[in-house]
Amino acid sequence: MSVRWQSLIAVMLAGLLAGCGGDASKARFAENSALAKQLLPKARKAVQKTLDEHFGAPLDSVAWLKLPVNYGKAEGTVKSVDGLKLSVEFNKEASDVDGLTSPELARAGLLFTSGVSAGKQVLLAKFDPKTNVFEALQTLDSPPAKDDTFVAAGHFLRHGRKLYARHCQHCHGVSGDGDGTTAKYLNPRPRDYRLGVFKFTSTGSFPAPIKATRDDLKRVIALGIPGTYMPSFVPMLKENELTAIIEYVRWLAMRGEIEKGLITELKGEYSRDRSKDEGIDKSLETYLGEAYPNFVNEIAGEVGEKWSGAEEEGTAITPKKPRTQDTAESRHRGKELFLGNKAKCVNCHGPAGRGNGPMTEDFQKNPTTNEVYAERGLFDVWDQPIKPRDLTRGIYRGGRRPIDIYRRIYVGIKGTPMPGNSQALSEDEIWDLVNYALSVPYDSQAPKLPKPHSVAEYSTEHGHAN
Amino acid sequence: MRKFWCLFFMFWPIAAIVYSAMSPAYGWWFPGDSVTELGQRIDNLFYLILIIITVVFIGTQMALGYALWKAAHNEDEKAHFSHGSHNLEVIWSVAPAVILLFLALYQMDVWRDFRVKAYFPEGTIETPIAEVTARQFEWRIRYPAPGKKLQPKPQPDDLYAVNELRAPIGRAVMIQLRSEDVQHAFFLPHLRIKQDAIPGQIIPIWFKAEKKGIYELLCAELCGWGHYKMRAQLTVEREVEFQDYLKKLQTDQNYDGFPTSDSVAKKEE
Ligand code: HEC
Ligand code: HEC
Ligand SMILES: [Cu+2]
Repeated sequence: MSVRWQSLIAVMLAGLLAGCGGDASKARFAENSALAKQLLPKARKAVQKTLDEHFGAPLDSVAWLKLPVNYGKAEGTVKSVDGLKLSVEFNKEASDVDGLTSPELARAGLLFTSGVSAGKQVLLAKFDPKTNVFEALQTLDSPPAKDDTFVAAGHFLRHGRKLYARHCQHCHGVSGDGDGTTAKYLNPRPRDYRLGVFKFTSTGSFPAPIKATRDDLKRVIALGIPGTYMPSFVPMLKENELTAIIEYVRWLAMRGEIEKGLITELKGEYSRDRSKDEGIDKSLETYLGEAYPNFVNEIAGEVGEKWSGAEEEGTAITPKKPRTQDTAESRHRGKELFLGNKAKCVNCHGPAGRGNGPMTEDFQKNPTTNEVYAERGLFDVWDQPIKPRDLTRGIYRGGRRPIDIYRRIYVGIKGTPMPGNSQALSEDEIWDLVNYALSVPYDSQAPKLPKPHSVAEYSTEHGHAN
Repeated sequence: MRKFWCLFFMFWPIAAIVYSAMSPAYGWWFPGDSVTELGQRIDNLFYLILIIITVVFIGTQMALGYALWKAAHNEDEKAHFSHGSHNLEVIWSVAPAVILLFLALYQMDVWRDFRVKAYFPEGTIETPIAEVTARQFEWRIRYPAPGKKLQPKPQPDDLYAVNELRAPIGRAVMIQLRSEDVQHAFFLPHLRIKQDAIPGQIIPIWFKAEKKGIYELLCAELCGWGHYKMRAQLTVEREVEFQDYLKKLQTDQNYDGFPTSDSVAKKEE
């Protein structure tokens, strides 16, 4: 009898292993195929190759030190060099860092900070955590010497990826494309990070939209986005887990932006419809061999600068005056602005703030392509239909603090049609609008509808014939 | 082999005795002592039931073991075929019925104190400290502004938190439980409180936590794929700390970019 039990258990174990193993190790980040399919197949492959090289795969990620991502650096010193083998010692804090055993750490490589190799990233084939011996991938032109210092990158990425896979991936997708398995059931859809656009930020949008800061992302992950399916993850995720996950989200966003940048660049000369052109293959080959590597670095630098720029001091929008006292007069002034032609809130949010203004009934133009959308109503930069907020519900996705609403009105909501008013409105006017917006849910007498002629005014303002 | 089965069935009552006897000391049944007095009474009920079923279990197992043992050594006597015994049927129907009836009556006062509004401690019903709304997949909490009463409808000065409920120590407090979407269950294992949250209903829950600490608040009703995400916490703290917390929430919520404006306003008052 016991023999049968054993075989039963063996069968069950085999089932488990088969279930878990599979092709997970070969998992890849999904391609941004909507864009990539516009390229010549060879150009498309080149983009994939670049991304593989600098970002790796979900389970084998690469820390590209050019990007302003905090990879969870561990610093150390070289103890001895023996051919390809580097025996190293990590700093005290680093030695117990979770993830140093990871082969990903090896792949991420070491960035030397002193000695002949200073500034160079050495890719590694192996790392033995027991002996702290690294094995370099290839012979080094100028091998590091004893006492050279380096930083090893990676464990945040690994930790972040694990947490992301567990908690976020089924909505936000493996590559951060907002197309996880549950995404199709949700409205609004989970954020597609690949545009690098985030809605609820503390940063401004002048002269160009500024990225989200780490703190902005942290706030969203900790508090969730009320009124949507984005849940709050605190206290379930601890501080160090939040840190790791935020870096991972930023990394995915940068990856997506770089992918888009590369495709856009290549599309100029090497779009799919030129496949019949004479000598196109040759030309592409030359380009890939010469200018392309520089361009890759350039675009990574550009994207990276935008993200590190957001972290600089003074990017947060802070009002110069404290909030105007929340009096009936202030609210009244706010309401006039809301309904008036200067702020034009009513065009989208409607006279009672229910989110049903005239612009939601009209055909709108896509501001990037200048094409008119096929359907009525507003769309966001992800090409999803979007409704102006129903302000009577008292749900504020970006937070209900006066400063949050102030920022929403001052900057607008990035990625959505909700415009900023930093030029059009004064500080006092914005505070009046904040006071009004926050009072809408409690306004017991329903706001009076504007007179008919003013409705006509609102619509002509936007150049629509009706 | 015959003896094996006798021993097999005799082994379990012994294991049950050992396990039941050890469990209270090792905290195998509960996540620590209850933090509320009512919870301790619930634990006592639990232990009473545990004792009853242990006794019954041991008794039946011993009887089974005995019967097997006797039969195993009895080669001569033939099995006696029976169509049932009316008397036996009555006994094993009535005995459990009596036990169950006893339990039903015996636990009545605990149930009453836990559930019946008229018996809630004084002051709890008039001044609920918070409204807890379960939602796929988080707990959204609404407190009244300090010095105000919680209203059924949201008020402009209400304070909001998510996944973090706080309550003062040593004071009986009540919360209003709601659900925004599907059925959830508000579960505070350390306080021995479990209550379903039902869409469309406002369900009052009271408790009086006697020990400072941070306790898990879980959803105990499979409410969807993100059920496991509904892990929040209850912080039980001193009354002053609790009031300070509410004030801090209020300051945070009124933040307009000028960290001092609130304290300035307070001085002016
Ligand atoms: C149930 C699905 C779901 C899960 C799980 C989820 N999100 Fe989201 N997330 C959303 C939705 C939906 C939005 C978009 C809300 C909107 O557009 O207002 C969003 C938006 C975001 C945003 C953008 C905020 C902004 O300012 O634009 C970030 C960042 C984010 N999620 C991070 C995460 C992280 C990190 C996790 C895992 C810890 C996670 N999300 C898990 C659904 C989800
Ligand atoms: C072109 C249309 C448009 C105009 C004009 C507009 N909004 Fe919006 N507004 C939106 C959309 C769309 C959203 C929802 C964005 C999202 O998905 O989060 C929104 C959201 C909001 C929110 C909710 C923010 C949050 O955190 O949930 C507030 C408050 C708001 N608008 C106030 C205003 C005010 C005040 C004005 C006038 C100064 C205004 N809006 C003008 C389209 C508009
Ligand atoms: Cu639940």
